[in-house]
Amino acid sequence: MVQSALDLLSIEKYLCELAQKHVGPIIKAKSGTQHTYDAKSGSRAVDIVTAIDKQVEKLIWDNVKQKYPEFKFIGEESYVAGQTKITDEPTFIIDPIDGTTNFVHDFPFSCTSLGLAINKEPVVGVIYNPHLDLLVSASRDNGMRVNGQDFDFMAKKHEMGPLHLAKSVVALQPGSAREGPNFTTKMKTYEKLLSCDGGFVHGFRNLGSSAMTLAYICLGYLDSYWDGGCYAWDVCAGWCILRETGGRIVGANPGEWEVPVDNRTYLAVRGCENKQEQNEYIEKFWDCVEGKLNYT
Amino acid sequence: MALTKQQLKDIETHLVELAAKEVGPIIKEKAGTLFEAFDDKANQVDLVTAVDKKIEAIIKDSLAKQYPDFKFIGEETFQPGDTAIGKEPTFIIDPIDGTTNFIHGYPYSCTSLGLVENGIPVCGVVFNPHLDMMFHASAGNGAFLNGKPIKVTERDLTLQQSILALEAGSERSSGSSGDDNFDIKQATYKNLLSDQGAYIHGSRSCGSAAMNMCFVAAGKLDAYWEGGCWAWDVCAGWSILTEAGGMVVGGNPNEWKVPVDDRCYLAVRGGCTEPMQKKFVENFWSQVAGKLKYHW
Repeated sequence: MVQSALDLLSIEKYLCELAQKHVGPIIKAKSGTQHTYDAKSGSRAVDIVTAIDKQVEKLIWDNVKQKYPEFKFIGEESYVAGQTKITDEPTFIIDPIDGTTNFVHDFPFSCTSLGLAINKEPVVGVIYNPHLDLLVSASRDNGMRVNGQDFDFMAKKHEMGPLHLAKSVVALQPGSAREGPNFTTKMKTYEKLLSCDGGFVHGFRNLGSSAMTLAYICLGYLDSYWDGGCYAWDVCAGWCILRETGGRIVGANPGEWEVPVDNRTYLAVRGCENKQEQNEYIEKFWDCVEGKLNYT
Repeated sequence: MALTKQQLKDIETHLVELAAKEVGPIIKEKAGTLFEAFDDKANQVDLVTAVDKKIEAIIKDSLAKQYPDFKFIGEETFQPGDTAIGKEPTFIIDPIDGTTNFIHGYPYSCTSLGLVENGIPVCGVVFNPHLDMMFHASAGNGAFLNGKPIKVTERDLTLQQSILALEAGSERSSGSSGDDNFDIKQATYKNLLSDQGAYIHGSRSCGSAAMNMCFVAAGKLDAYWEGGCWAWDVCAGWSILTEAGGMVVGGNPNEWKVPVDDRCYLAVRGGCTEPMQKKFVENFWSQVAGKLKYHW
């Protein structure tokens, strides 16, 4: 089997170098300079894409194709709805620029998100934010690194203390779909999470980038992230890193304990010292979900 | 007798030193380490408040020595009702802005040091030691980030194509405290996001009023709407924002001029013409779903 022979750590290192040396400088130089952009669904729409997204994806694709010619490749910009399928083959799942709206507005939370999945499971993840010069990476069974240095998440978990919904800071992003049942479900759920009669969380944060949000959970800055509408490339890299730190990803809708990488709805929860707390956290969180997110 | 440009610059320099050398290191060292202690109401010693008080005392001592004639208002020593802001030069400071971030180790806590004269913010320093971002400005002397002049890229400002800082705040009950602020905020967020409403590019939440003001000043966010914060949360950022070409108006419709302790604000970036800013403000106000109330 090809995957058992793979040295995941060397793939992680390769992707780190690609992100830091080749992709990052372009994102940093072009952030806030793209005043012309397309919206994927009409001129007033908010699902923005720029020429740089496409250019960066090509750069990544050309690079990894040369180095790993047998691997499959799925990128946000080359994805074709209904046609592109994730198989069990080793597959790079990448978002050239995650947080494109941030990129256009020069809010310093755009990043590149490079993941590798085997058997549809994320096994390598690299997230690089050139504005903060923050590189977060991991590969299966190899732990997590920050800017190339091993990160001691055990110590961090201890410092963070117990995981409880009412004491947590949650990442929430309305996303680009702004009407219809999913938008309504999101707004109602946010209100329930915040309300003193509901989850009464300490606070919510919105960075406008799924990959950065997952990186921040891995670093122990945030406790959880709930979202619907994102794609495999938004979460693949972060998912791998999160699992290495004892965190987990389940579905955004109640009862979805096991979900595939392209599930489109997710609840990501940080690692903690007591596994049972994580399960209770997820169940309490699901109690606050008002309605059902559906992207099929 | 008004303070001269040079006097203001000297004060700015003093505040930058104080923030960098004395306050920043404490915030950086203590962030995320006091999680267990913060809300233990039975425990007489609230460790977070203790750090807040300690930092406020350091700032107050330093300023009293250097500027013995100036008044001082700080979050920790503030007495509701009898700490009115007069015409005299008055330091208005928040030792740690973003307390929830500070508790959770989310890297958006900062110190916020402002000065008003005749009730108008004329000098401000905001320092985030986690990201090593020092924003500083004084009236007539320009605004700076880490010593480099802040120059907002010239570009159009429209509500639909904007990203806005929006926070939930800590007031979370629907009407039970005799007001509708929580409900009005939630309804306004929905109006801003919905494709039937303003359909903005996005919202962001950092959990720190001072950081939000500074990101607007730097043009990384287009605007920030807030109700419920205090003069010390916004005073420093206000000065930095106006020096960078931005403006602050009331958070409720038609309040073009508000005092620094209004508790309800809309901050708008520079980099565009004043008529464009005013049009933006009017469009924004048309989405506000009620009147936020903080004075009784």
